[in-house]
Amino acid sequence: MSSDTGPAGASAPAAAGAPTANAEIVCGAGLNKWFHRGRAHELHVLKDVDVGVRKGEVLVVIGPSGSGKSTLLRCLNFLAPPETGTVTFLGETLSAERLPRLSVPARLDYERTLRHFRTQMGMVFQHFHLFPHMTVLDNVSAAPIRVLGMSKQDARERARAELDRVGMGGKAKVYPSQLSGGQKQRVAIARALAMKPQLMLFDEATSALDPELIGGILDEMRKLAESGMTMIVVTHEMGFAREVGDRLIFMDEGQIVEQGPARDVLSEPENARTQAFLRAIL
Amino acid sequence: MNAYLVAYTFRWSIIHPAFDEHLHGVRVTLELTALSTVLSLSLGLVVALCRMSGFRPLCYLAYIYIQLFRALSLYIYVLWIYFGIAAGIGVNFSPITAGVIALTMLNSAYMAEIYRSALGAVDSGQHEAAMSLGFGRRHRFFTIVFPQAFRIAFPSLVNQFIDIVKDSSIVAIIGTTDLMGVTNQLVSYYRAPFELYTLVAFFYLTIILVVSGAAALVERRLNRHVQ
Repeated sequence: MSSDTGPAGASAPAAAGAPTANAEIVCGAGLNKWFHRGRAHELHVLKDVDVGVRKGEVLVVIGPSGSGKSTLLRCLNFLAPPETGTVTFLGETLSAERLPRLSVPARLDYERTLRHFRTQMGMVFQHFHLFPHMTVLDNVSAAPIRVLGMSKQDARERARAELDRVGMGGKAKVYPSQLSGGQKQRVAIARALAMKPQLMLFDEATSALDPELIGGILDEMRKLAESGMTMIVVTHEMGFAREVGDRLIFMDEGQIVEQGPARDVLSEPENARTQAFLRAIL
Repeated sequence: MNAYLVAYTFRWSIIHPAFDEHLHGVRVTLELTALSTVLSLSLGLVVALCRMSGFRPLCYLAYIYIQLFRALSLYIYVLWIYFGIAAGIGVNFSPITAGVIALTMLNSAYMAEIYRSALGAVDSGQHEAAMSLGFGRRHRFFTIVFPQAFRIAFPSLVNQFIDIVKDSSIVAIIGTTDLMGVTNQLVSYYRAPFELYTLVAFFYLTIILVVSGAAALVERRLNRHVQ
């Protein structure tokens, strides 16, 4: 029943300053990220990036490898905290800048906000990262139990519903090693959705799959977008970007080179770098 | 009497009266090893976590602990703890306590390194997936990372356990009534070293075979999710 309706929205906890229909649900401002490779080699992977997504919008991020697409996603949920800049999500702002190292209250507040961010942002990885020592059902229900504090029974019920939604209801008792890549990714999607997130981040979710399995995962993502989920999708699937994406960002060398409505950018790119990239892959 | 010096005659019948004493020794040995194993398993994990923590002083402290306690032989630790500490600060340990402390110090240092390599071997994607779902540090460690690391560490930890069983015989030098200690006493009483040491070898062998057999079952259970 509940599996056909929008996964987010209704059941989400009423966060302070919950966004209204057209407000930006997540907003990164002035994000900078460096990777440190030894003392002399610093790699500036994200250069003053501003990004925002409105509720219900599907933002597609494309660009050559090493352009900072994945890092951008990981900055938003602080898997890779940006060195400078802020992320505002559901009315709360988080920044790793000027975080006092030794102040315990500041640290705790930071951790609490961080936890809030992550429970409300689902993430799907290129290499699935299912927990190999747990059954499919436990994979999906672990976070609702441990993080949201749900009862085992409720969490399992929710997990079953999410597994049914991605067509994996029959594999609940199986371990991840017995699944194909496509099935693993379906479970990973169900695992993220079981937290009832407000925003889903897809980090090249189909790049590690066999060609024949890609379509199935893209269909799941399309269904999710149609159900009203807000999504940021890093992908190399231009067909998907054109059909499902509302807005598109092209990134190169850590910067947003061009952005606009997905169809427009894909069919008539203005920037020379975007044109070259699209020519090369299409 | 002369015949004893010239040609050793085996008297296997000694084994029968000595058997009860040996069983007592088995119990003490098992207590000694079980206690030391549990303590070094937990202490080793704590040391490994300190060694891997981002807090520098803790990390160095753990490093020193590992280097120090791996460096010397159990023989020296046993003597130091039993006689040295008693003479130095006047704390008298019972032989068993001294033995457990010495075994724990040495083996927790080894186990810390086993844990460290196993924890490092868990894919970083597992940490990321757990973090992205909002798991806090504690749950991330106990629910996601540690169970996977433990599976990787298990065979090496079993090795370490077997070492503890055998090393516990060294503790006999301070007069514990463990298997080796009992045997030493019986040998000086019955004057039948070959028979009695053969018997003790049989006991050690049995303990280790039983335990490693059980460990194989546990390992199969730990690996049930691997295809």
